[in-house]
Amino acid sequence: MIRFDQVTKRYPGGHEALRNLSFAVESGEMVFLAGHSGAGKSTLLKLVSGIERATSGNVLVNNQNLSKLRASQLPYVRQHIGVVFQDHKILFDRSVFDNVMLPLDIIGFDRRDAQRRVRAALDKVGLAGKEKVMPIRLSGGEQQRLCIARAVVHRPSILLADEPSANLDRAYALDIMELFKSFHQVGVTVLISAHDETLMEDYGRRIIRLREGQFAA
Amino acid sequence: MKHYLYLHAQSARSALLKILRQPFGNLLNLLMLAIALALPVSLYLGVSSLQQWTAKLNTTPQITLFMELSSEQADLAAVESSLKHHPRVASFRFVHKDAALKELEQRSGLNAISEGLGSNPLPHAFIVTPQALEPAMLDLLQKELSGLPMVELAQFDAAWARKLHAMITLAGQLAWLLAVVFALAMVLINHNTIRMQILARQEEIVVSKLIGATDSFIRRPFLYHAAWQGGLSALLCWGLSSWLAYQANPALAEFASLYGIDAQLRSLQPLEVLGVLLGAVLLSMLGARLAADHHLRKNQPA
Repeated sequence: MIRFDQVTKRYPGGHEALRNLSFAVESGEMVFLAGHSGAGKSTLLKLVSGIERATSGNVLVNNQNLSKLRASQLPYVRQHIGVVFQDHKILFDRSVFDNVMLPLDIIGFDRRDAQRRVRAALDKVGLAGKEKVMPIRLSGGEQQRLCIARAVVHRPSILLADEPSANLDRAYALDIMELFKSFHQVGVTVLISAHDETLMEDYGRRIIRLREGQFAA
Repeated sequence: MKHYLYLHAQSARSALLKILRQPFGNLLNLLMLAIALALPVSLYLGVSSLQQWTAKLNTTPQITLFMELSSEQADLAAVESSLKHHPRVASFRFVHKDAALKELEQRSGLNAISEGLGSNPLPHAFIVTPQALEPAMLDLLQKELSGLPMVELAQFDAAWARKLHAMITLAGQLAWLLAVVFALAMVLINHNTIRMQILARQEEIVVSKLIGATDSFIRRPFLYHAAWQGGLSALLCWGLSSWLAYQANPALAEFASLYGIDAQLRSLQPLEVLGVLLGAVLLSMLGARLAADHHLRKNQPA
């Protein structure tokens, strides 16, 4: 499902975010990504979603080698992945409903089918009554849920979440983790990054620990 | 395929709704585009109307040779024979002075001219049609013919018509030149308005790209916006040029009636409206496409 083969990512200016990293995540697996900020967690997730490209090595996602794919093909890879961004990337000029509608518009869903799916996704994350609300009126936790609804509305096979529990109190963070677990249980491959390891250890899943772009011992 | 068309219809519809939601700002924009279109279109209409009238005028120049009053039969024969053998004369026609007088009486309705005058004051004349020649060669021919014995005057009949013709041709070329300049303006204006829109929706574009939007998905709403803008401004331009013709026609008709011409500025024909519409739409989309491509090139996430 996801395979890194001696992947190195160097940003312009020389900073090496990932160094010669190899690992695999099986289909349907739920994996945590741990490490301090700057350890390379976000870069790793960006390479999986094709937002960044590896400097060397191969990144395979759904049996496609992203390193060899043309730039014009990358959007189609992204359409099969759901991403919960660290900074949410919510659009504040439109309602909760229209925010979740965006991925379906991009893929080109039939309008009626799309509306049904948006309602189902909002229901799933617990925002059923807030369809017409503007995102600015949502609390931090609700904005996080909105972001999750948008990431799963098109039923991707891979779900990536970059620090989804940051800035949330523990009870709320656990709620969010339970939500990810429920997606994992229906077969979605889930990859979650966090700098707070205590939250992950309760789940007994595999944890990939990064330090300065390499596996931490 | 049906689904693809459905998506495009959806984009077209939402682009139109977006324009209608801000009627005032967009109307100003449309008027700017319509005026840019109306200038060359009006000039084109003026020129093509003029060409319709002048086509009825005789523009092949003729040279009339007026003989001296004292010329005699032998002189006429000499002139006739040299015209007959002249290489640059296509044809000629002799008008006897009695025939000329009769024609004058008929045309003016004054039957008693000859009676009152006692003798015929008109000269004999040859009306010469030259070969198709350059204006300079025609002048040369006129000089040469005026030098024939007992010829008092060699006069161009259609000199004014030729000048008019040249001026209309010039105006026609000017209309095309203006059309090219304003076509460029059309592209630039659209480039600018679409660029502003793209900047206003920058955040949406960034997020869309992050979650899998293709370049053509990003471009689509802007292309449709530009297409509507071009199409609507072409229709406004049609109205504007028709209104101009409507306003100018009474004064023009009065002026033309002085010359016995029935003159009217025409408005755009259906096929021409279609042409302007198509041109405006395509030029607008070109401007939008350039603006969008420039933006997409500068903002690649990967």
